[in-house]
Amino acid sequence: MLIPRISQTAKYFPLVLTVLLSLLIFLKTFELWGQGRPSDQLLNFKGQKLSIQWDSLTKSPLVIRAIESNLLEIKNFSKLSRKEITHTGPLLVNKYKSLLQIEPDQLRLKGAEKISDTWYVSYWQTFQGIIIYESSLGYSIDSQGRIKSLGALLYPHVKAPLTSKVSHEEALRIGQAQIKDFKKLRCILLAESVLIYPVKKKSSIDYYRVYAFNFFPQEALHPASVVGGWAVFVDTQTGKVVLHEELLKPLGCCIPEDWVPPKLEDLKPKW
Amino acid sequence: MVKLKFLRFLFIGLLFSLIVFGCKEKTEKSALPKLGSPAIDFNCQDLKGEHWTLDKLRGKIVLLRFWADWCPYCRYEMPIIDKYYRKLNKEGFLVLAFNVKQSAQVALAFTAQLDISFPVPLDSDGTIAKKYGVYAIPTNFLIDRQGIIREILIGEVFREEKPLRDLLKNYFPSL
Repeated sequence: MLIPRISQTAKYFPLVLTVLLSLLIFLKTFELWGQGRPSDQLLNFKGQKLSIQWDSLTKSPLVIRAIESNLLEIKNFSKLSRKEITHTGPLLVNKYKSLLQIEPDQLRLKGAEKISDTWYVSYWQTFQGIIIYESSLGYSIDSQGRIKSLGALLYPHVKAPLTSKVSHEEALRIGQAQIKDFKKLRCILLAESVLIYPVKKKSSIDYYRVYAFNFFPQEALHPASVVGGWAVFVDTQTGKVVLHEELLKPLGCCIPEDWVPPKLEDLKPKW
Repeated sequence: MVKLKFLRFLFIGLLFSLIVFGCKEKTEKSALPKLGSPAIDFNCQDLKGEHWTLDKLRGKIVLLRFWADWCPYCRYEMPIIDKYYRKLNKEGFLVLAFNVKQSAQVALAFTAQLDISFPVPLDSDGTIAKKYGVYAIPTNFLIDRQGIIREILIGEVFREEKPLRDLLKNYFPSL
């Protein structure tokens, strides 16, 4: 009598396995998004219809789109200078301050470029004048001066140290020590900065004030070289390394025949 | 007994060599695929949650692109690529722009800023970039309708429209 009962249980085994596997795939899918998918919301903001995608962790908008209207319309746009165009960011932040939850003076220009008839403008967010790593706010302005949507990665409630406890020299020594064969590879410090580095956890964010270093081996400066560099972030409070990763090379162009080494100050850092 | 000890020693030695040389091979950078070789398979998800594999690209002309938001050259090529994607999408032109080693939030904010309409899959740990031997960004691979890699373009090459238009003209004579 026992044998048939075991077979009965075994009959459900593939089903249970399938359910478990499906659950695993489902969880894995959401893991790709870190904190889960950004949620969409239709909102009436001071009489204007907006579609917003929120970052579930920072509670800040990732995307804001105006429906049947514009986020901002700039009059006499064609007459504006490049400098005047770069002032549109603070105007936009001022208008949607309660949604974006940052102040206009927290923006620092990242880039402004005209491609065809459209301007593309982007900014970093700063905290006490220091750039927040990977933060951004940007948008395009069409030839009529209309901004229809914006994309942003903002950190509204930054809590980070205001001063550094570890000296720059000490941090640089710690950073260099992370690179194996630093001298043998003839590594150079390509770029450095003090940044706010947000580290996202499950339900909170840790903000580190870091010395950020980009190191490159000399031969990596040639565009044909496959050798990349390294980014090392050293915590200004403890001297601990909070980020150490291999860099892909940002290449401005294909390899020209008459290539000459670039000036170091012309090369862009990772942030 | 001595023979057994010798065999044990040999086995440990072999195992040790395997670990050492096996690891060394893993840390070496993979090379770019050759022109005329089949595109390498991948399995990923884009910002809208759609899954992408090589099979899904068959019959289309595909621009496989690797980028990151910190790369200034990547930024200003995107609107030009998007213009041609919008124009030729119905004729079978597809752009898959892999964001390398960044979060979905970074990629989403970036694509919204540039109003990009083509799919942006996430290569969160850089596995796909590594498979394709990518060592610099932007890097673009043009794949034909049979899944063969026809062009590899490293660095900023689409800052102007002409190079992209000339490239696509070979596949879309209507351009």
